[in-house]
Amino acid sequence: MIKKLIIIAATVFALPALAQIAVIVHPSNSANLTNEELVRIYTGRSNAFNAVNLAETVPLRAQFDEKGVGRTSAQLKAHWSKLVFTGKGTPPTELASEQEVLNFVASNPQAIGYISAASVSDAVKVALTIN
Amino acid sequence: MKKTAVALAILTASVAAPVWADVTINGFASIKAGMTTGSDESLYGYDKDIDFKNESLFALQIKSDLGEKLSITGQLVGRGSKDFDVGFEWAFLTYQLADNMHINAGRLRTPFFKFSDFKDVGYAYDWLRVPQGVYGLGFDNIEGISFYRTAQLGSVESTLQVVAGGYDGKATISGVEVDAEIKNILGLSWELTQGNLSGRAAYLVGKMTAAAEQVSLAPNFTIGNLFTTLNSIGRNDIVKSVDIQREDGSFLGLGLAYDDGDWILVSEYTKVKVKDTFIADQNNYYVSVGKRFNSFTPYLSYEVEDNNSRDQIYLPYQGVLPPQLLVPLQGLVRTQERDAKTWNLGLRYDFHPAAAFKAQYSSEKNDTTGQRAGVVAVGVDLVF
Repeated sequence: MIKKLIIIAATVFALPALAQIAVIVHPSNSANLTNEELVRIYTGRSNAFNAVNLAETVPLRAQFDEKGVGRTSAQLKAHWSKLVFTGKGTPPTELASEQEVLNFVASNPQAIGYISAASVSDAVKVALTIN
Repeated sequence: MKKTAVALAILTASVAAPVWADVTINGFASIKAGMTTGSDESLYGYDKDIDFKNESLFALQIKSDLGEKLSITGQLVGRGSKDFDVGFEWAFLTYQLADNMHINAGRLRTPFFKFSDFKDVGYAYDWLRVPQGVYGLGFDNIEGISFYRTAQLGSVESTLQVVAGGYDGKATISGVEVDAEIKNILGLSWELTQGNLSGRAAYLVGKMTAAAEQVSLAPNFTIGNLFTTLNSIGRNDIVKSVDIQREDGSFLGLGLAYDDGDWILVSEYTKVKVKDTFIADQNNYYVSVGKRFNSFTPYLSYEVEDNNSRDQIYLPYQGVLPPQLLVPLQGLVRTQERDAKTWNLGLRYDFHPAAAFKAQYSSEKNDTTGQRAGVVAVGVDLVF
């Protein structure tokens, strides 16, 4: 019983550890994104931005796939394999760390990416925050 | 062998050319094993002995971005069923006309079905194999040109594809593989998606020719022999109503799908006709339902094949033609009759970020012959 309570308590307190995700663009970009537009960008239905992704090894990636794009990483990979192997699209370039995403977006006016909200700096603009 | 050497040379050349072009290599593979559940059965290329080769395949895709909106893509596929001999199943250039519009030219996949384009990429869907009752048509590829356009119509996403070209390869007639071609293929496929729901329609036409003459109707009596004899007694009209020489073929495909993240429903209906031939009119469909439980997706599907033989070809000649001609003619027409129903029960398990394990049991009941056949298959589909 006590064990169970501890587990429940641990689960509850673990939740806030899931970071808020900030979708970031270049400071010169005036775009204010909706969630639907974000989904379109990260599923290959919109080329309005030069999107970058985090590598699958970064924990934030799975969180973004589920909360930002609304699908599991496996579903998204299946979706992209449909486009890649039929000449219909190329998935966003994957970068190895949040720092790399931040640097890329800060130096590319057309770029879009995401990092944990706590890592946002003045070099980029937050276009959408995902809780 | 020669093909493989050429392919390797091209592969090596592409890899060694990063100075001029941005080359990406992707691939997919399926390792599958299966066997029939009964000792005297055969289905999907399996029999009673477990086989690891039949449905396994390995593919490499090389895409080179040449800049200025031009790219070139080649997909090399080696299939276990063809001894892993490697061939180009896709080889095309892409020219991006606009953000939402491009043209592909070269060897492409004919967009008959919803899953045509990526039916070899098992990782992209849940089934262990696409429903064979509908997808068993053949004529997978087209050499030609394709125009592809996506658009947003309010809350509806539209994907339009127009293809034109020809097919030059094989067709299976009465279980025999023969040379076949379809000229002047012209087709359109249109898919509309709104939220979880999507609908698709495809319509294609072409002029079909198949070298069916070599197929045997009886010992030492081929379709060619039948045609020669009919011609010799002045019945060219019958030959014309049966042979496959530049005949008008048409394909209609309709599809409906629902995917809310938990439930996945897919259904497709197809209608195939080749005028003035002994080929039966084919009306096939399947319905599939699956549900995702985290990494597990069990599914159940049901396929119906309804191929109606063109009995009106031989019926007027009963009592007119001598039996030695009527019987083979009737046989030729009647062997195209096929009524079959298939149940499939399977599971996809995403055990790895780039690989899925699958297991599927399929049971086919052929109502025309009264035969039943079952296949159990397991495998891993991966992308890289």
